[in-house]
Amino acid sequence: MKKHSGSAWKYLRISGISLLLGLLIGAAVIAVLGKNPFTAYYNLLQGCGFLEKEKYAGGRSQLSDLSSFIDYLTPMILAALSVAVAMKAGLFNIGISGQMLTAAFTATVLVGYSPLPAGIAKPLVLLIGAAAGGAAGALIGYLKYKFNINEVVSSIMLNYIVEYIVSFFIVTRFVDPISRQSRPVSDASRLTLSEIKISGIKYDIPLGFIVAVAASLLLAFILDKTVLGYDLKAVGANRRASGYAGIHVSKNILTAMLISGILAGLAGVTYYMGYVATIEPKTLSDVGFNAIAVSILGNNSPGGIFLASIVIQIIDKGATYMSSQQTLEVEIASVITSVILLSSACGLFYGEIGEKLRNARTAARKQHRGKEAAQ
Amino acid sequence: MNSIIIDGMSFTLPLFIMAIGGIYSERSGITNLALEGLQGMGAFIGALAAYIAVNCFGMPQGSAYYLAFLFAIIGGAVYAMLHALLCIRFKANQVISGVVINLLATSLTVFLTKSINKAAFGAASNKIDLGVSARYTVPGISNIPVLGAFFTDVYPFELIIVAAAFLAWFVMYRTPYGLHLRACGDNPHAADAAGLDVARIRFTAVMVSGALSGIAGMSFAYSIFAKFSGDLYVGYGFLSIAALIFGSWTILPTLGACMIFGFARSAGYQLVQMAGLPSAYSDLIMILPYVLTLILLMFFSKNNQSPRALGEVYDKARR
Repeated sequence: MKKHSGSAWKYLRISGISLLLGLLIGAAVIAVLGKNPFTAYYNLLQGCGFLEKEKYAGGRSQLSDLSSFIDYLTPMILAALSVAVAMKAGLFNIGISGQMLTAAFTATVLVGYSPLPAGIAKPLVLLIGAAAGGAAGALIGYLKYKFNINEVVSSIMLNYIVEYIVSFFIVTRFVDPISRQSRPVSDASRLTLSEIKISGIKYDIPLGFIVAVAASLLLAFILDKTVLGYDLKAVGANRRASGYAGIHVSKNILTAMLISGILAGLAGVTYYMGYVATIEPKTLSDVGFNAIAVSILGNNSPGGIFLASIVIQIIDKGATYMSSQQTLEVEIASVITSVILLSSACGLFYGEIGEKLRNARTAARKQHRGKEAAQ
Repeated sequence: MNSIIIDGMSFTLPLFIMAIGGIYSERSGITNLALEGLQGMGAFIGALAAYIAVNCFGMPQGSAYYLAFLFAIIGGAVYAMLHALLCIRFKANQVISGVVINLLATSLTVFLTKSINKAAFGAASNKIDLGVSARYTVPGISNIPVLGAFFTDVYPFELIIVAAAFLAWFVMYRTPYGLHLRACGDNPHAADAAGLDVARIRFTAVMVSGALSGIAGMSFAYSIFAKFSGDLYVGYGFLSIAALIFGSWTILPTLGACMIFGFARSAGYQLVQMAGLPSAYSDLIMILPYVLTLILLMFFSKNNQSPRALGEVYDKARR
């Protein structure tokens, strides 16, 4: 256990260094463009409600910005957890965007357009989202263990298939003629209480955030404290060895993809029926792809993912306010994010440098001591 | 029928050359999910070069076209060095590196396009216009029924791709370098023991994948999109990864997989047009290539074997 927490510290250090490096390079770029990097970074935090802006539009405040930020954060946490579960079992789920869309579309059609009251509709949306996402994830696992189809290929194929099928049904059945997107879902079924007025200030209260926190805790428990978690990690670490050790490899592949799909499904409903209320045809959300990066920065652990999601989403969401204040292009934010991630990908290398430095230091000390003894 | 072949080939070939790039990288042992970013970066550099050559130096469109491809190859190869550096020198996780390289390419090229347009050309625009390239028909052969369609309305880049693909096949299967490359992907320890420089071979293989992806990106920019913009990142890179895994990391079967994607796509469009269906139905037809791929994979995946050392960091000290 002690060793485990030690490696967590080491990882936190590496992520910290990466973050610093990314922010420094970003600052250099911003400075080259003739803007003040400190104000720019200050704007990022202002945009997410962590710091106060100079002025607010009517009915908004710092707290309402923070509530929208958490609303934006929720699907990312769930999607990144989805990446992590699969990754733990040695699988690369690149189909999260497709699974999100599957879940959200199913829940939108079944519950979002129904007259059900909020008390029934909201839990039902979560349930249907989890079920549909889980089914989509399990299908990829099934194709892998039954037919040996590489999960990267099948999930890319399913991404396209879902994208086009959903687009077809939206355009032919559920389209809003003005926005060209799907008709918005009912407020009763939506997982975010949008623009709720409390003493004159509007808030977006994300109920899905509770689900995200619960999912993080549950997943941490499953991975660290249960046989299932142990088996999943063993399969991920060495498929053949765990097979010899009597672990049912294919069953675990299926289970990992099922859990991954469920989490992706929950991410889907909190995004399409929470953060927004409509589905845009012929597009997959970026959340599913960026979640891969977030999960990696968070070292595939639920706690790490929670922190990493906050960092990445601050840069992502704050960018809108920053670009409006500084007349910088919005994309500068993604550039900074990429540099942070690039730098964190080299974690193994940093570890090696650290080890070399330590070795050199001990060697020097030994030499020094040897000299003292000789004298 | 003819237009199915004509449109099908103009989509198949860029996909194929990108997949060959992926094969080079992966057969040398480096997982390459970065193809999407490599093709985008290549297309951006190429488009920028052509745009500057035409608008600042008055180069005719015809020669700018070839200049664009030259720069796309260079741009793709140079950008791929980042992936190689991370995976080989810095021992990064190769999947992670690939994903991040894509992210960086998308954000950086769109950012630069906007900034350069604003700063240098004084216009707020998020694209570099190129126009669709001219097409050529080979007289004589093109009159042969069915087969002739392969020589009708051909984009010049298709010729570049066929030549590059043939060269790539030759190098991979008929030269010592190709043999060494494949050895590095299957057993780097043995390759090292035999005196090969594993790191250098892998480095060059990743650069080749960048160069070939650059050709692909430039081809898409000159045909489907007629410009460089963020729209270029629609996932064709991932599609070609699917094709190369389907083709079991070998060049000729991969061509087959790419043709399925290309022809099912163009046949689908044709079908919707001929049946006079509303355009929404083309969405339904568009799933055909992907469903077909999944079904085919069910039959052909049993023996699908990736290069044995794929994705492993090669550590000399552990030999």
